[in-house]
Formats: sequence, structure tokens, C-alpha cells
Amino acid sequence: MKEIHKKIRLINKILKTLIKDSFQYPHRLVIDTFTVIARCGVLLVLYWFVFKLNNGIINGTTFVFTAWSIFFYFSFSTLRLHEVSKWMMDDVRTGNIEMLFSKPISYLFYRMWWQIGMGLYSFFIVTILATIVLIFIVGLPQTMMIGIFIPTFVLTFVCAIILTLFLYSIVGLLAFWIEDINPVFWIVDKAVMILGGSYLPIALFPVFMYKIALYSPFGASKFITHTVYDSWQVDWYKLVGIQLLWIILLGLIVYFMFKKAQKKVSVNGG
Amino acid sequence: MMKELYFALYAIKKNIQSSAELRTSFLMNIIGMAINNTAFIFLWVFFIKSVGVIGGWQPADIIALQGFTAVCFGIIYSVGGGIEKLADYTASGAFDRFMLSPKNLLIRIATSALRVSAIGDVIFGVICLGIYAFIIHASIYQVLLILLAVIISTIVFLAAVIVIYSMSFYFVDASSVTYGLFQLFFTPAMFHGGAFQGIIRFIFTFFIPSLLIGTLPVEIVRDVSLSKLLLASVLAIFWFMISIKIFNRSVKKYESSNFMTFGN
Repeated sequence: MKEIHKKIRLINKILKTLIKDSFQYPHRLVIDTFTVIARCGVLLVLYWFVFKLNNGIINGTTFVFTAWSIFFYFSFSTLRLHEVSKWMMDDVRTGNIEMLFSKPISYLFYRMWWQIGMGLYSFFIVTILATIVLIFIVGLPQTMMIGIFIPTFVLTFVCAIILTLFLYSIVGLLAFWIEDINPVFWIVDKAVMILGGSYLPIALFPVFMYKIALYSPFGASKFITHTVYDSWQVDWYKLVGIQLLWIILLGLIVYFMFKKAQKKVSVNGG
Repeated sequence: MMKELYFALYAIKKNIQSSAELRTSFLMNIIGMAINNTAFIFLWVFFIKSVGVIGGWQPADIIALQGFTAVCFGIIYSVGGGIEKLADYTASGAFDRFMLSPKNLLIRIATSALRVSAIGDVIFGVICLGIYAFIIHASIYQVLLILLAVIISTIVFLAAVIVIYSMSFYFVDASSVTYGLFQLFFTPAMFHGGAFQGIIRFIFTFFIPSLLIGTLPVEIVRDVSLSKLLLASVLAIFWFMISIKIFNRSVKKYESSNFMTFGN
């Protein structure tokens, strides 16, 4: 019980500190707003044109569903959870890892909550503003107005956060073995980008690609993009189940990699 | 002028030699980036398969689009990777040493660093353009147009990054602002060119020159369009001249933060 209280206090402290920090540096909000406009905004305008050319329907889906699906992807991206691997690589490269290991807290626990705290402020502001804009411009699809939507969305969102953190932590932990994890990071990041439904929403995926997205951790980490479609009402428990399976599997990999990494680390002093 | 160029070549050579010291990392970065870039080709080819042909754009045109954007990005960031560090230089005060250098300021900054992965971009881009030329059975005339279009897109890309990173002089911690502006410029450049129509096409050609580095070059080569070539050339020269003016004006805003540093 005491341990849990200690952890909650630590989480509280990390989040509070980072949110205060975000208030001090409002330009970080600018970067996220620009990124969402550049990627999501422009993309939605293009899709609007493409749907118009196809008489409003492509692959049995309409622009409203596509717009919300793409928006969920980019909104989730403002949390910048993927940067956890870069922070880990920096810790190893700079020797900061020595200092963090010597503290009476779990390094992984601290790094993951730190990453959540880093993007939380931008995520809330950008998401709220963009949601309002999107409701006014494209409206809400029927599937987002039924009772099951919000609880299942929250559930898959939480699973997506955990899964993303585990996925990128594995990449980050590779820094203990290889000097530069960037090439691995790029490949994993692009796999998530393609299979997560970023530029090409999942409704437009070819069948084989949809299957890969469904059963790989890359696609599973972005299942929030599935929530807007009709199929979500029937398949949500299956998709959340897949996410949970990947969380357990990747969680175990992270655990064992970290155990190995702790033995591998060599402190050179300085 | 020749002295400046010799200096630039010498600095680039030293940057490459220095990066190549970490051989495994150097090669992994180059190969990793080349693999990474193929993601966009997959994406837009699947897009065409699902949505159909838009604006006359075929899968081969997507390969060319990624080729042009990768080549211009790669050339500028491999020979002039220092330009993206401008925000850090100004924030840390490290910019002082560039001001004191007797060399051309812009060349000195640009050649101060190298992004190794950008070499992977160049390789990827050249391969893409080669594949494109092969698929469309390019005539000699079209091959020449590809070369000309690469030059034009590289000039536009250079001009855009100069303008974007010149903003470093106007903000206290400008790295996030310049990153955001760069995203606004570069991300649409990699989107399916045929989907840019009407007002959006106008904005991303004349106000934000994203389409000048990928979409327009593809259309120049595909349609053998001299009018588009002329438009792109004029805009490239215009953007380059404007960028130099903006840079020179922005430098005057710099205030040293008294950070003493020597060497690199």
C-alpha cells in the first residue's frame, strides 16, 4: 500500500511539474498546433476534395468518418509518446542513465510518466480546439453519438498509450546494445504511421493490409482510429483484446530487456 | 567566390570524415533512412489503389514525387546540415563564432554540420528518379528535365529552409517554432500531388512553396511542360533572393548572449 502511495505521489509530481513547465513555454503549443495543421488540416482538405470527386463515397465510407479517424490519429500523436525512445537513447549516450539508476525510483516508470506529462498540455489544448473546429465543419458521425462510444474509446485510448510506450521503450532500450537507435526508430515509427491509419485511413486499406494492421502491435497502438466506424460497435472487444495481448507480450519483453540492460550498463565516471 | 566554395567543400569533406568515424552508425543511418522513406511510396500507392487516379497521377508519379523531395532534402541537409541548427546556435550564443568568422556567414553556418541520414535520402531519391525514368521510358529530353527539376527544387528547398530558420533570430527559444514552420512547409510536399487543386494548389505554390519541390517537378517531367518549368524557375529565383534578404535582415536582430565558446 505504501509503495502504491509513493508511486501515485511520484506520478502526481511529474505531471504537475511538466504541466507547469508547459505553461512557461507556450511556444511548444505552437509547434503542436502547426504540426496538426500541416499534417492533419491539409490532409483533410485533400480528402474532402478526393471524396467530392468520388461522389462522397470511397470503399463504402464517407468523408465524415475519414476526417474523424485521421484526426484521432494526429490528436494522439500530439502526446509525442514515441519520443520516449529518444530520451532513453540520450540518457544512455550522455551518461545521465547513471544518475537516474541511482535514484530510488524505477527508471522505466519515471521515463514513461515523464513522456506522458510532456505532451499532456498540448494534447488537451490542441484536441479540444480541433474537436470544436471539426464538429462545426464536418459534424459528428452517428457512431460517435451512441452510448458505447465514450467508454470504449477511453478504454482503447488508455490501452493505446500503454502499448505505444512499451513499443517505443523496446526501441529505446536497444540503445544499451547499439550506439544509434535512430534507424530502428524510423522503421518502427513508419510502420505505426502506415498501419495506424495516418495518411491513409483504415477504411481505405486493402484487405491484406487491414489484417496486418489488426494483428500487429504497430496497428494495435493506434486502434483509436477504428472507433469512428460502424464495425467498432461489434468488434470493439476483439480489438481491445488484441491490444491487451500485445500489452502483455511487449510488457514482458520490456521487463526482460530492462533486466538485461541494467546488467549491461557500464558507468565510466567523469 | 571561389575561395568560399573551396572552403565549403573542405568543410563538407571534414564533416563526412568526422561522421564516418562511427562507421556502423554512419551506414545504419544511411540505410535506415532509405528504408524509412519507402513508407510514403507504399502509403500513396495504396491510396491510388483505393481512391483511383486523381489529377492524372499514377503510382509512378508518386515514386517521382518522393524522389524529388528526398533528393532536395538530402542535398541540402547533407551539405548544409548546419542551417537547421541555427535556432540552437542563436539560443546558446554559439552564433557568435560564426559572426566573427571572415567567411560568408550563411555558408559558414550551413557547412558547420552534417546530417548523416540525409545521404540516405539522396541515395533513395536518386534510385526513385531512376526507377521513374525507367517506368515512363523517359526520353533524353525528359532526363534533362529531371536534372533541371532537381536543381530547381533544391534551390526552392534551400530558400525555404533559410526563411524558416531565419525565424531563429526573432524568438527566444525558436527551435520549436522553426520545427513547426518546417512541418507546415515540408509535409504537404510529400502528399499526393494530384489532390492539390484550386485554392489549395495556389496557396502551396505561391505562398508556401511546398509544391515547387515535388509536385511541380513531377508534372514538368511527366507533361514535358515548359510553362510549368518557366513558372518553377522564376519562383525558385524569386524565393532564393527573398530568402537571402530575409536572412541578412534577420541576422541584424541577433543579440549575443555572451556565451564564450571556441572551436566547434
